[in-house]
Amino acid sequence: MSARKAGKVLGVIVLHLVLYAGALVTVAPFLWMVLTSFKELPDILTYPPRWIPSRFVTENFVAAFQAAPFGRYYFNSMLVAITVTLGQLVTCSMAAFAFARLRFWGRDALFYVFLGTMMIPAQVVMIPSFMVLHWFGWIDTYAALIVPGLASAFGIFLLRQFFLTIPRELEDAARIDGCSRFGVLWRIILPLSKPALATLAIFTFMGVFNDFLWALVVISSDEMRTVQLGLAIFRDRYQTDWGQLMAASVTATLPILIVFFFAQKYFIRGITLSGMKE
Amino acid sequence: MFSAQKEFVGFDNYLTAIRSPEFWMVTKNTLIYTLGTVPLNMLLALIVAYFLNKKIAGKRILRTAFFAPVVMSSVAAAVIWRWVYEPNFGLLNYVLSWFGIPAVNWLNDPTAAMFALIVMGVWKTFGVNMILFSAGLQGIPKHYYEAAEIDGAGRWQRFWDITLPLLSPTTFFILVMSVIGSFQVFDTVYVLTSGGPLGTTKVLVFYLYENAFKFFDMGYASAIAYLLFAIVFTLTLLQTKYLKGSVHYSI
Repeated sequence: MSARKAGKVLGVIVLHLVLYAGALVTVAPFLWMVLTSFKELPDILTYPPRWIPSRFVTENFVAAFQAAPFGRYYFNSMLVAITVTLGQLVTCSMAAFAFARLRFWGRDALFYVFLGTMMIPAQVVMIPSFMVLHWFGWIDTYAALIVPGLASAFGIFLLRQFFLTIPRELEDAARIDGCSRFGVLWRIILPLSKPALATLAIFTFMGVFNDFLWALVVISSDEMRTVQLGLAIFRDRYQTDWGQLMAASVTATLPILIVFFFAQKYFIRGITLSGMKE
Repeated sequence: MFSAQKEFVGFDNYLTAIRSPEFWMVTKNTLIYTLGTVPLNMLLALIVAYFLNKKIAGKRILRTAFFAPVVMSSVAAAVIWRWVYEPNFGLLNYVLSWFGIPAVNWLNDPTAAMFALIVMGVWKTFGVNMILFSAGLQGIPKHYYEAAEIDGAGRWQRFWDITLPLLSPTTFFILVMSVIGSFQVFDTVYVLTSGGPLGTTKVLVFYLYENAFKFFDMGYASAIAYLLFAIVFTLTLLQTKYLKGSVHYSI
């Protein structure tokens, strides 16, 4: 009996060791990035690699920000990500309210059309979207980065499913007391939907902030670049300047990692609700 | 490219694609990437999710660590991995040297580059599937296990006869989504290898991007986009047809 118990304890210990080792391997590239960004050149180009910098320096960040306008890239990314996120909260909540609560001709058919668009890969829509924006004269502007993202079928779907779980009695009472349709959405549905709204907001912000392909396609001038685009171009130009490259990567990763640490449950809820990929 | 007058060319762009050896090469590369990432990704995700579902100290920290690569931008991730794969000072060659494995020029060797891309792809995305498997595991009623234990079923037997069958709807969903996702890989290819060396990592979306926005052949690129859609759609239908039979919703 005690041998069996000892075996069980050993199993638990081994399991913990394996899991923590796996987690360490998973985050090793992150640690490597952060530590390298604070190293001086001799520390970076040493073999065998040295994990801890012999002296912590910030000159890689200074050099990276001087070599490319990362401040400006940052401003662009934040502006675009925040505007798109707010825009989606407005458009998706109103559309979701219509699909969940209002009765109009062709409602369900229209909803399925929306759902169907989620099946079409973004790459199929990319070229026609680009040509439409070109026709508008919006290429290389904020509008090109913001407007196509202002509504999303995924957001409408996510919020509609949540709105459907809210009991109607609350609204009926408010309607009898003279509350308008919009008042019902604003004063009853939205306050009750904070978790769903937070999930959508965080997912959208992450998607837009991390987006690369669309920015690569519609942006051509340096001062319009987003952080991700700026980083990719910086990578092309400073192929082997690892200290600066790591400093720039830390910069491009930081906002999302901060949001992630404080709001992890919304990321996880978003994934389980949708199974959506990065 | 944007002239008002456009000539209708029928299926010419599609025929050009089908006759082009490059189109078949990038399709093959995409397929290799998919076959390399999806099974490895799912296996790793299932193992981690399965063990995290047990009594583990510091479960939250572990989950955060495994999930962190997912939220990171793929551009930054690829920049870091270029450094990991660096032939002279990179982390990977250093670790391999402990086992006496000679240095590999990961990103410039035509046989190694796709492998490097696959490893990074698995690292970047398996956290999503881990979360989905965790949700699936939590949805399996506990009383099945209790009943099986009373009947004397061992750990493996419980895993094969209860966990796997009841997890199959989740597994099927993950498989379909992962195949779709890996056919659309682009960012990491662009930053890590730019399709090289010798085109060995050029995938469908990279080919599409190149034709549309480097060569400005919008017609041909649109045909590629629809062929990509057709391939993904066909694969999804095939998976539904041939695997739906092994999906169980109850025992």
